[in-house]
Amino acid sequence: MEQDIQTWVKLAAYSGAGLSIGLGAIGAAIGEGYTAAQANSAVSRNPALAGDVFKSMLVGQAIAESASIFSLVVAMILLFSNIPATSFITVAAVFAAGLSMGFGAIGSGVGAGFPAGAACIGMVRQPAMSAKLTTNMLIGSAVCQTPSIFALVISFILIFSDFGSHPLWPTWGAMLGAGLAAGLSAIGSGIGGGVVAGASSEGIARQPTSVSSVTNIMLLGQAIAQTPAILGLLVAFILIFKEFGATDTIAPAIALLSSGLCMGIGGIGPGIGEGIASSGGVKWIARNEKEIGTLTRTMLVGMAVAESTAIYSMVISLVLIFVV
Amino acid sequence: MEELGKIHQLIIPLFGHNMVFNLDAIVFTWTVMLLILLFGVLSARKRGMIPGSLQVLGELFVSKLYDLTEDALGREMAKKYAPLVCALFMFLVLCNWIGIIPHMEEPTKDLNTPLSLGVMGFFIAHFVGIKTKGFKAYISEYFEPFFIMMPLNLIGEVAKIVSISFRLFGNIMGGSIIILVVSYLTYSILLPPFLNAFFGLFVGAIQAFVFTMLTVVYISVQAK
Repeated sequence: MEQDIQTWVKLAAYSGAGLSIGLGAIGAAIGEGYTAAQANSAVSRNPALAGDVFKSMLVGQAIAESASIFSLVVAMILLFSNIPATSFITVAAVFAAGLSMGFGAIGSGVGAGFPAGAACIGMVRQPAMSAKLTTNMLIGSAVCQTPSIFALVISFILIFSDFGSHPLWPTWGAMLGAGLAAGLSAIGSGIGGGVVAGASSEGIARQPTSVSSVTNIMLLGQAIAQTPAILGLLVAFILIFKEFGATDTIAPAIALLSSGLCMGIGGIGPGIGEGIASSGGVKWIARNEKEIGTLTRTMLVGMAVAESTAIYSMVISLVLIFVV
Repeated sequence: MEELGKIHQLIIPLFGHNMVFNLDAIVFTWTVMLLILLFGVLSARKRGMIPGSLQVLGELFVSKLYDLTEDALGREMAKKYAPLVCALFMFLVLCNWIGIIPHMEEPTKDLNTPLSLGVMGFFIAHFVGIKTKGFKAYISEYFEPFFIMMPLNLIGEVAKIVSISFRLFGNIMGGSIIILVVSYLTYSILLPPFLNAFFGLFVGAIQAFVFTMLTVVYISVQAK
């Protein structure tokens, strides 16, 4: 029996590693491609600044790639570290760790491409602002990585915690659910945060005097666009750390699995939507800084309404965990 | 890897209940408070037209955060709430930065710290809301746009506390877990200082700012 568990854990670790880096490679590649396209268009507008644009393109791409590097780290750990196999729950946990990081890296990778691209374009439009633009791009794309960091945390907890004392049914469902909740919900927030950061880089290039208020509102918008990912993190934490009573029916395990799915998929749309809402706010604050109060309020109310669907998903997934 | 998720706790049984103290969080919260007091005393001790370096730093902190509050809340309310905003930001920044010193832990890594600050911001915001709009107008906002939306509006308000505190907690704890795991994998060679600089100094400062800004915004949304 002992040998049997070991084999299954290895099997899950290999497939988890494949999924982690396979899915994780999607986002960063798209983001980097977008950045390179924008950099090309920037160079053709003002070839004299080709060196600066090239530099900022590479820096931006390096940041966009960090989400994929997280996936690579998780894949390496799954492949090479000796995971203690105490029960069949570890099989589910290890597989879920790969899923969580794989899905979680998609959004941040795509998102971090937007500010880098916008900064390249902005640099040729407003060469005097290139230092400020680079700073703004760095802050924007670093904050963009937060959802993938949440997914990474859930992966690490799933890999390194010992669940030997928990009952196999329904805990395996909770593990898979936790991975899916953290991973899928990070997609929307990553893309949304990137859209906001892109709009702010563009805005600063258009109106250099607005740099401080645009950066502030960008941080605010990104932070609120991350709410779905945070709700996903919350659901994942509950699924991992709550002790579930042992059952011999299949329903509770599936309920826990679907609560993770519900929060994860339900978080994708609101994340992107809030990002779009906030990008509008940031864009027009740069053009019309005098109306910052009204614009910010409208942006916040719009984002709150777009967020409500993520809250509905959270309510249903909490019902699935605690009631069903 | 045993340190992952371990919390030093002091459990005191009292009248049949267990009182649990998270020692790390308490000790380092007091450390941060003492450091802020020290900074306050040192920066204001020798005030003058030609400021010393600490006075410049203190003035910079206060004036920037005061301006920020004034932008969001208006001149009248800024007078009242800017000190709170200032203190909140300084406390959070130091809390997030203290972890880069070896053997010190960020108090914000313990969910209780961000959660209590989030609850504090929530109550202040709603107090401001009731005070400026009156109780009737405040309550009727929950029944918009329809009567049946009341429970969802309530959940939405509570979700604000969850999101603001988990954002800070997740970022700081995530950073420290990543540093721990990477240090373990690379035998603490080369990488940890850079990771500490990124997750400790950079992300810590940004998240402290975001938390402060969001508290101000929640207050201003309630006030208008």
